[in-house]
Amino acid sequence: MKYRTKLIRAIPALLALLALAACGNVGSSGGSGPSAEDEGGGGGPTITVGSKNFTEQYILGELYAQALEANGFNVEKKLDLGSEQIADKALQNGQIDMYPEYTGTSLVDVLGYEGEYPSTPETTYQKAKELYAQRDPADTMLTPAQFNNTYGIFVRKDVAEKYDLKTLADLAEVSPKLAFVIFSEFKNREDSYPNMQRNYPAFDFGDIVIVNSIGGPIYQGVLQGEGDAGVGFTTDGQLASDELVVMEDPKNIWPFYYPAPVVRSDVLEKNPKMKGALNEVSASLNAEIMRELNAQVAIEQEDPEDVAAEFLQEKGIVE
Amino acid sequence: MVDPGAFGLALLQDLSSIEEPRLIEWDWIRENFWEDIVPAIQGHIFLSFVSVAIALAISLPTGVLVSRYRKAYPPVTFVTGILYSIPSLALFGILISIPGITIGPTPVIIALVAYSLLVLIRNTVAGLDAVPAETIDAARGMGLTNRQILFKVEFPLALPVIVAGIRIATVTIIGIATIGAYIAAGGLGKMIFDGINRSFPTMIITGAVLATALAIFADLSLLALERHLRPWARRRRA
Amino acid sequence: MGAILDVLKRPDFFELLRQHVLLSAVALVIGIAIALPVALAIRNTTLGAALAVNIGNIGRAVPSLAILALCQPFLGFGFDTALVALTALAIPPILINASTGLREVSRDVIDAARGMGLSGGQILTRIQLPIAAPVIFAGIRTSAVQVVASATLATFIGGGGLGNLIVEGTQRNDTAILLAGSLSVAVLAILTEVGFGALEKGMTPKGLKIAQKRGR
Repeated sequence: MKYRTKLIRAIPALLALLALAACGNVGSSGGSGPSAEDEGGGGGPTITVGSKNFTEQYILGELYAQALEANGFNVEKKLDLGSEQIADKALQNGQIDMYPEYTGTSLVDVLGYEGEYPSTPETTYQKAKELYAQRDPADTMLTPAQFNNTYGIFVRKDVAEKYDLKTLADLAEVSPKLAFVIFSEFKNREDSYPNMQRNYPAFDFGDIVIVNSIGGPIYQGVLQGEGDAGVGFTTDGQLASDELVVMEDPKNIWPFYYPAPVVRSDVLEKNPKMKGALNEVSASLNAEIMRELNAQVAIEQEDPEDVAAEFLQEKGIVE
Repeated sequence: MVDPGAFGLALLQDLSSIEEPRLIEWDWIRENFWEDIVPAIQGHIFLSFVSVAIALAISLPTGVLVSRYRKAYPPVTFVTGILYSIPSLALFGILISIPGITIGPTPVIIALVAYSLLVLIRNTVAGLDAVPAETIDAARGMGLTNRQILFKVEFPLALPVIVAGIRIATVTIIGIATIGAYIAAGGLGKMIFDGINRSFPTMIITGAVLATALAIFADLSLLALERHLRPWARRRRA
Repeated sequence: MGAILDVLKRPDFFELLRQHVLLSAVALVIGIAIALPVALAIRNTTLGAALAVNIGNIGRAVPSLAILALCQPFLGFGFDTALVALTALAIPPILINASTGLREVSRDVIDAARGMGLSGGQILTRIQLPIAAPVIFAGIRTSAVQVVASATLATFIGGGGLGNLIVEGTQRNDTAILLAGSLSVAVLAILTEVGFGALEKGMTPKGLKIAQKRGR
């Protein structure tokens, strides 16, 4: 009996020890906390940088985060937000202070804009910036990086050859016979599949396969034969593969998607230094570079953190 | 319906047509061990531990109460049983639709606690029930108060069954905590999801294997504790 | 509330429901087809039974997401991969229960039966199986509920099912879609639990039911 009582008393003590061991991770999500060997961070105010969870977003998030660190900020990273809706919600309720968003996406999906898509990248940005500033709490969309990361609808090479597919119109014609691999949001978002259907009414895929991750898995899915067509991004390395053929879009149905940091305005006001650091990063990017960085992560399996660090050093943004 | 022949053929075709990525890149594991892997393990242990602790804090007193006032037992079992039947992703979904609950560890911990209540309460009651009435009478005869009887006689005797419940709850919690990563709660599930998003099998395999190892480790440790506390009983049917 | 019903009326809802049920049903059936014969085959060997129970216990500790995710690098995305993973998940509870259930038929009863001249095969079908039936069905019930719940996760490896709705609702921050998905999976799981529970009761031989009532 005495032994039993001792055991009962020992258990809370053991559990407390276990708690101490696990306590190193209170609050931050495992795997994306600030790494031990970061220099330059600490000391300054803390900024939480978020991002959505696909390759390009991881890289953009890392680029902005590391640039801020090099400028004296203490950065927490939350690079696992599942969609722009989730990211936006986190931004507005203070869980994160900023994240990289695409001008077109913000217009159509976040800010509730219902007009015609602006006809130039610049007007797209200006409209988004304006609408962001009118929100409560207000947000500031900084100057975008100068490249367009838009949708690339692609098919497997053998499918393209079989039906002689070159443009979206061609694809629409045969779509009832094909399976389309997409991520969940693409199906119903205004600027996505419905957009395709509005402009090319023949679109009516026989089967829609939903893979709930953006990028790699969709390419894999089409290559494996789970589907015949898929949706990718024009800055993805995989789109360059010989096995895939990207459909041309003579009608230019997509809005412009230029990535820019979206920061909560109150945070930006308190920390004006952020602007310079973030703009420097955006200015250093273009389509070629983004494609290369994306490929390093998605195809060569390198870590977004390392890829970002290397790039920033090359450009002299970080020593 | 599914045609076994075609299915088998398709399966073989799938296996032979997978693209290149090497299954396990040991370099990545070595390089990222302290940066990514250890925090993921820590985060996972944290989620699980906090959930088990809170669940115990709720279920032990509830179990005692319910074993005394039996009328409350069926409704309690009913409610906790329903909670237990709701698939995890669905419960997470329901919780984050409640205004005020944001994504992150909070809804996950709430759900994990909810899942383990049934097992813990049921085992607490069963354990207390198994204490022979004569033992309690004898203790009362020796002048012990009800409170003393509970802590010095009933709990120690009920411990094996309670620990059996803790074992099942802990293993379940560790398993479901992996899914919590989907709503940004961190842990080993994050490695699994990131691996899927990045088409990076190494992360998937590392996350999955570590989560499994953690669950099995907890299972075996608690099983050893349980057997230690109850050497006389033969192994219980599952 | 009305918005949730609207989601349920969507044409793809029924398709997702169908996928979910199909995935779960096939996985369960194949799981039974594998676990039961194995349990039968090893019923008389102590080593076999111990092995089955241990493998089963370890199998039950494995997180469902882990198995689904592990199949992905080897088998790719899609329904088939999800099916393989879910079948693997379905096996342990059935294996454990069938194995222990068959073995726990009391030796006295078996000896008595042998004394009456029944052959091994007859003992199996007329004595062991009927007595073990409730336990075996409890295992099948546990497995069924677990499979239906885990099929929700198939969405992450492109396997379809109601999980797709939950993910869609989460991504789009659309409470109606989210709740439609979550509630329908919850209802499906509860129905499975209740349905198999009723089946289990139905399968319990009358004699055992009486014995159970008397608080054996």
